Amino acid sequence: MSKVAIMTDSNSGITQKEAKELGITVLPMPFNIGEQTYFEDISLTQEEFYVKLQGGEEIFTSQPSPQSVMDAWDALLGEYDEVVHIPMSSGLSSACQTARMLSMEDKYEGKVFVVDNQRISVTQKQSVFDAMALAQEGKSGQQIHDILMECKLHASIYIMLDTLYYLKKGGRITPAAAALGQLLRLKPVLQIQGEKLDAFAKARTSAQGKITMINAIRNDITNRFGDDLANVHLAIAYAGDRQAAEVWKKEVQEAFPGCEIIMDPLSLSVSCHIGPGALALAVSEVLK
Amino acid sequence: MAANTIDAQLFARMFLAGAKNLEAKKEYINELNVFPVPDGDTGTNMTLTIMSAAKEVSALDENASMEEIAKAMSSGSLRGARGNSGVILSQILRGLCKVIKTSDRIDVMTLVLAYEKAVETAYKAVMKPKEGTILTVAKGMAEKAKELCEMEDMDAFIDEVIKYGDEVLAQTPEMLPVLKQAGVVDSGGQGLMEVMKGAQRAFRGEELDLTITEAAAKPRTNVDSSAAETSDIKYGYCTEFIILLHKLFNIKHEMDFKAFLESIGDSIVVVADDDIVKVHVHTNDPGLAIQRALTFGELSNLKIDNMRLEHKEKLFKEAEKAKTENNAPAAATKPVAEQMPHKEVGFISVSIGEGLNEILRDLGVDYIIEGGQTMNPSTDDIMTAIEHVNADTIFIFPNNKNIILAANQAQSLVEDKKIIVVPTRTIPQGITAIINYVPDLSPEENEETMKEEIANVKTGEVTYAVRDTVIDDKEIRENDIMGIGDSGILAVGQDIADTTVEMTREMIGSDAVELISIYYGADVAREDAEGLKERIEAEYPRCDVELQFGGQPIYYYVISAE
Repeated sequence: MSKVAIMTDSNSGITQKEAKELGITVLPMPFNIGEQTYFEDISLTQEEFYVKLQGGEEIFTSQPSPQSVMDAWDALLGEYDEVVHIPMSSGLSSACQTARMLSMEDKYEGKVFVVDNQRISVTQKQSVFDAMALAQEGKSGQQIHDILMECKLHASIYIMLDTLYYLKKGGRITPAAAALGQLLRLKPVLQIQGEKLDAFAKARTSAQGKITMINAIRNDITNRFGDDLANVHLAIAYAGDRQAAEVWKKEVQEAFPGCEIIMDPLSLSVSCHIGPGALALAVSEVLK
Repeated sequence: MAANTIDAQLFARMFLAGAKNLEAKKEYINELNVFPVPDGDTGTNMTLTIMSAAKEVSALDENASMEEIAKAMSSGSLRGARGNSGVILSQILRGLCKVIKTSDRIDVMTLVLAYEKAVETAYKAVMKPKEGTILTVAKGMAEKAKELCEMEDMDAFIDEVIKYGDEVLAQTPEMLPVLKQAGVVDSGGQGLMEVMKGAQRAFRGEELDLTITEAAAKPRTNVDSSAAETSDIKYGYCTEFIILLHKLFNIKHEMDFKAFLESIGDSIVVVADDDIVKVHVHTNDPGLAIQRALTFGELSNLKIDNMRLEHKEKLFKEAEKAKTENNAPAAATKPVAEQMPHKEVGFISVSIGEGLNEILRDLGVDYIIEGGQTMNPSTDDIMTAIEHVNADTIFIFPNNKNIILAANQAQSLVEDKKIIVVPTRTIPQGITAIINYVPDLSPEENEETMKEEIANVKTGEVTYAVRDTVIDDKEIRENDIMGIGDSGILAVGQDIADTTVEMTREMIGSDAVELISIYYGADVAREDAEGLKERIEAEYPRCDVELQFGGQPIYYYVISAE
């Protein structure tokens, strides 16, 4: 039986500390702020990031350098036979594309499996947990890859933004999001479904936005996940405001009683584009 | 000496004379509005409705048959119908026409039957009619007519009927407390009497100027008008019960309960009396009404009727008839829509004021019908909008309680598009409705969410009083500033800002509110609006307060809280 290592990047919301405890590797995402490069959860904390973001500093996200990816793989392959790497969604960053390219090098072929399952944040984290469980069961790198790819679309995330400002500023605004309306102060609700990050709905107040997200998730559970709460993982993610997230968690718990709900800060590469104050609700199917 | 029968030509003259007389009394009728707002409009609405019919009648050949006249009256008034009173008047005329078109000479018996049909048709249009209104006056005259059906002297007959109509009209304040408090008779009823009296003068052979000059009637749009009666029933179950209260039921509970019922149906009556509340609602889900009512106490005297079944046979017959009568349906109305690229879902909103129009367009409204409290668009205006919007499903936001009926009427005339009238009663409700539209959901699911969400929007509007009156136990003098909420007058004062702040306080009460939006009108300076915003922010430090230019006439501020 081959020994399989699991690796992801910091978009999964898994901290370096947790990674150590779980026995996995988390590649930190780099940020360029001013002249300097910071690494998520290494040289840049959540708090520092939001101070800089709200202070109006120009923050650029970038992908991990090929060297850092290969260094991580090399280190793991010293100890394990195979590596399953689950990077952030290829729809949101080219990090995945780069990693796949690197994995085709002779040195890594058949040993490193890059999973392009278009997950991000809490749903990416769930994939990592699933991969760890599969490795435990003795599945090979290729098998884990295939299983994760098979159910890649069995998840969605809805995110309510506090403002459209950051999305516009980052030039990431899609035509649909731009069509949400610019005159009134609105709370857009975006949807991450597969590679698509797009406008889903809009709300006038956060109370309305939350109802929209809960209804959307309920709709997904009914129509896509066999209408059974036992089939799904629910998770909440938030950008910066933990207190608001706690309240949100209670509300979600009330809407879906008995369901265990994970709560994580949103990864910084996502927060960077959607801005502080965003709240998200995600669903992913329990691996069978 | 007047004859004992009426021929087609005389009937046409009588109708035109009635229309002209109503037009002449228009302003007087406007002033009978219970709310002393500057844009009281019953007279205007009724006049525009009847003028639309009058125009079609006067365009006919002078030898037109009774049937042709009836048809012109019927379709003209339907398309021109605007405002609740206008829609009801149009139904009265249509009912009348159904009977008179069958005879070349009208005698007393024909009139008796025609009145009866008119009343029946009108009552059906409003489903749960309120007494003390135009309906009661019409019904009174029909009953009197029936009583006198053996009279041969047409002149005496008409005179008796009108006298009795005036008596009933004079009693309307006893039937509707709001009328009594405001010291007025029902404006719609008054309008109807003016039509009757004008017609009587023509019958007696008075020389009258019957030229119809008013540009009120809109161009013809060849719509299949016979479809109107077939889909009046929007909510299928007439649900009635009494709540034996277990706990406090104050005005606030009553308003909330009414708002809830409005979100699931219409024709709502909620009457609270010490320890019982009588409830009546037409809804598609009586269970919801019952569940909510159970939170206040025990229920008794429950009665739920399926109104659709009751009307089914009748509607079926009418639909059959419509089919055979109209072999060329709405096909002729299409060409206009070609300018707009086709989409699945479109939005039509009634709005007034460039700022508000702009906001609605920005949110995705395809077509704005200019109007509102100040000018209720007609069924025909709404039909024109529907023709312009090239979409399979169209949501309509009437944004005024007086326009919902006309929108429903338009809905029933459209066959090639799915029309959803969201019963928004204010522009902020319309704004919230369209914001909550989710493209991924079905029109029905969206309709549901919109209805739920508009129930959470409170709106207040600030204007000035045009006369002295008393409403909701508040004394109002001419030129006072009034803050009007969803269910009545909330504040009265002399200063615009003070009254607005007080209205906002009353409007919000102790409810949890997240966002207060202020739309300032055409007559308000930006600085003043900003001053008001600061005052409201100071009162509600935990709320977002947003100031927007609305540009609406007559209403200094429109404020919403949600």
